[in-house]
Amino acid sequence: MGWFEDLTGIPTGQAAGLGLGAAALYRAYEDLEGFGQRGLELGQDLAQTQMEQTAFRPYTVTTGTGGQFGITQDPTTGQFNYSMAMSPDEQAFQQGMFGGAGQFFQQAQMPTAEREAAVYDRMRAVMAPEERRQQLAMEERLASQGRLGLRTAQFGGAPEQFALAQAQEEARNRAMLGAMQQAQGEQMQQAQLGQQYLGASYIPQAQLIGALQPGMTSSGMQQQAQLTGAGLFGEATASGIEALLAGDLGRARLLQTAGAGLLSGAGAFGVNEDD
Amino acid sequence: MAQELRSINLVAPAFKGINTEDSPLAQDPSFAETADNAVIDKRGRIAARKGHEVTTTNKTALGTAALRAIKTFRDDAGNTKVFSAGNNKIFSGTTTLVDETPAGYTITTDNWKMVNFNDRIYMFQRGYEPLVYDNTSADVEAMSDHTHSTGVASTMYGNEVLAAYGRLWTADFTNNKSTIYWSDLLNGIHWSGGSSGSIDISKVWPNGYDEIVALSAHNNLLIIFGQHSIVVYEGATSPASMTLSDTVAGVGCVDRDTVQYTGTDVIFLSQTGLRSFGRTIQEKSMPISSLSKTITKDIISLLQNEVDFYRSVYSPEENFYLLSFVGQETTYCFDVRGTLEDGSYRVTRWPGSLFTAYETRRDGKLFIGTTDGISEYKGYSDNGVKYRFKYFSPSLTFGDPSRLKILKKIKPTLVGANSATVFMKFAYDFGTSFSTTEFTVGNQQPAFYNVNEFGANSVPLSEFTGGELTNQRSLNAVGNGTSVVVGLESDINGFALSLQEINLLALIGKTI
Repeated sequence: MGWFEDLTGIPTGQAAGLGLGAAALYRAYEDLEGFGQRGLELGQDLAQTQMEQTAFRPYTVTTGTGGQFGITQDPTTGQFNYSMAMSPDEQAFQQGMFGGAGQFFQQAQMPTAEREAAVYDRMRAVMAPEERRQQLAMEERLASQGRLGLRTAQFGGAPEQFALAQAQEEARNRAMLGAMQQAQGEQMQQAQLGQQYLGASYIPQAQLIGALQPGMTSSGMQQQAQLTGAGLFGEATASGIEALLAGDLGRARLLQTAGAGLLSGAGAFGVNEDD
Repeated sequence: MAQELRSINLVAPAFKGINTEDSPLAQDPSFAETADNAVIDKRGRIAARKGHEVTTTNKTALGTAALRAIKTFRDDAGNTKVFSAGNNKIFSGTTTLVDETPAGYTITTDNWKMVNFNDRIYMFQRGYEPLVYDNTSADVEAMSDHTHSTGVASTMYGNEVLAAYGRLWTADFTNNKSTIYWSDLLNGIHWSGGSSGSIDISKVWPNGYDEIVALSAHNNLLIIFGQHSIVVYEGATSPASMTLSDTVAGVGCVDRDTVQYTGTDVIFLSQTGLRSFGRTIQEKSMPISSLSKTITKDIISLLQNEVDFYRSVYSPEENFYLLSFVGQETTYCFDVRGTLEDGSYRVTRWPGSLFTAYETRRDGKLFIGTTDGISEYKGYSDNGVKYRFKYFSPSLTFGDPSRLKILKKIKPTLVGANSATVFMKFAYDFGTSFSTTEFTVGNQQPAFYNVNEFGANSVPLSEFTGGELTNQRSLNAVGNGTSVVVGLESDINGFALSLQEINLLALIGKTI
């Protein structure tokens, strides 16, 4: 009696049939194991291939005025790096606008008293000649009436002088208030101008960003095509793998069937002896 | 062949007053060469002026000085008090002069002007703080001492003061001759605040420069008299808005105390004689407006020689405006009832009059200030002292200056002059040596009710008369000449005297 028989209790003659069957089963078993592994490896290869196919591809958008927008990926960290660069003209424009905005904001922050005084002085310079004319006319009128030397407790001088002085003083007050309003208006205007300049200084950038949209769209479309291609590639490859694995699986099943047949034959013999 | 006596009748001689301006030969006989101590009486005759009777019995405070201002304080409640100034004091009273000078108030000059205004009397003199009296305080006090006074400052210590248009006005200051200050409305002690004020008219004088002498109010006008010009403002009821109405150059006022109101006009003494403001404004200083045209040179001479002060008064009851040149003891009496053909007043002269202040009272009495105190213009002696009435005609030629006149009779008709000795005088050919003949007017004692007609021993005490003694005399005259001046003199000592007419009988001789 041989080891097989010892081991299995099956006589060696019968054991040859069993062995073939078992070998076929075993072979089928091993093949099945290899099929899974192969499928895994093929899938990983496919994934790797698709990863490479769908990986981000850096691109740069250049505007008509020379501004550029670019996106790159750090190969190490995978971080995306965006970069925008305006053309020298745009940079000069932006700097000019920035400078202007700064000046306007600086002026808007200045105290208004000095400007009020300056505006008031200019208004007074305009008003003064007429006031002098009125004063002279008043003096001539009072002189013709013999009232030039009039001094009263009620009015200081003549009532007309008081009225004129009051009117002129009111005009001065109005001028002063006007100067204050003018200075404040100018302050507001400076601030608004500063804002406008500041806003204008970002126009090149905004225009550059605006110009990105078409580039990003085309890039997206490209990526979409890339993804679609990768998908089709994956599907096709997966079908091939699936077909390959199905073939292998069929072969394994063939072996399984054959091995099972052998084993079945061998087993039936042995059973009969036992019986 | 005997010639017929020609009768020359001088009816109401000198009823046109003095005329020393026209040529004696060409003069109307109705003028007089001299009319001393005379007035034009109610019948248009030349007559002796009244004298003055001294009211003051105790003038101890006055001493030997003369009163230089008299004013009667009067308020709405009817309180009255007579104030006067003299001997560097302020007095009250008429019989006894009571010193009312505020304690500590030093006076060295008596040129006060006093005005009544709104229940107070105010006294102003250049360089002196004004004095004020009212019946409440019953004391004369410096204005700043008055409880409610404001704004009293040396700048308004004026020499002239006027109460008009509801306020006090003052001007003529020591260092400011062109500014007028006015008080608050109805309050003569408020010189600041309210509606008080001032006006400097130094740029208004028509001649470039002048000095304010006097102020006056008339017809809603504020009249500012300069020395040589007049400035008139209208609308002075509201001084802040009053305006120049008129200016007159070349005619000014000599002294504030010559300005008098006659009700319808303002009379003042200019450098060339007495003037009417109304006519001066109308005629713009034309010489014709002079009210003293008949004595212009005399007035100018007195003006040039006056070193003391002037006083004047208007008496509607006596119908005269008196102008006294105090330093020369001469007063001119202007009869304001009418004017002559040339627009001048009839004027007589009161030489030797020692009148230094006047005050016309509401009852018509005329107070006169003298060294004796306060007198009243009444009677016919100067406090018992006689004065001489003089009349001298201009040179009379009887219409023919080339022929000789031989006076034969002088027949004066006098009214009054009881017991007076009358001197009739005449001279020929501008001679200064007058022939004189005198007569005594008879005495007449009019019989009045309850007075016996007959006294003891049938000596008549009074007799029935017409009330006025009329005396006609016929006096012989001698000599001859181509022109004749006739005069009459008489001492007035207790009785009135009027010269009704002088009838001259003369022979007209050959032509010389």
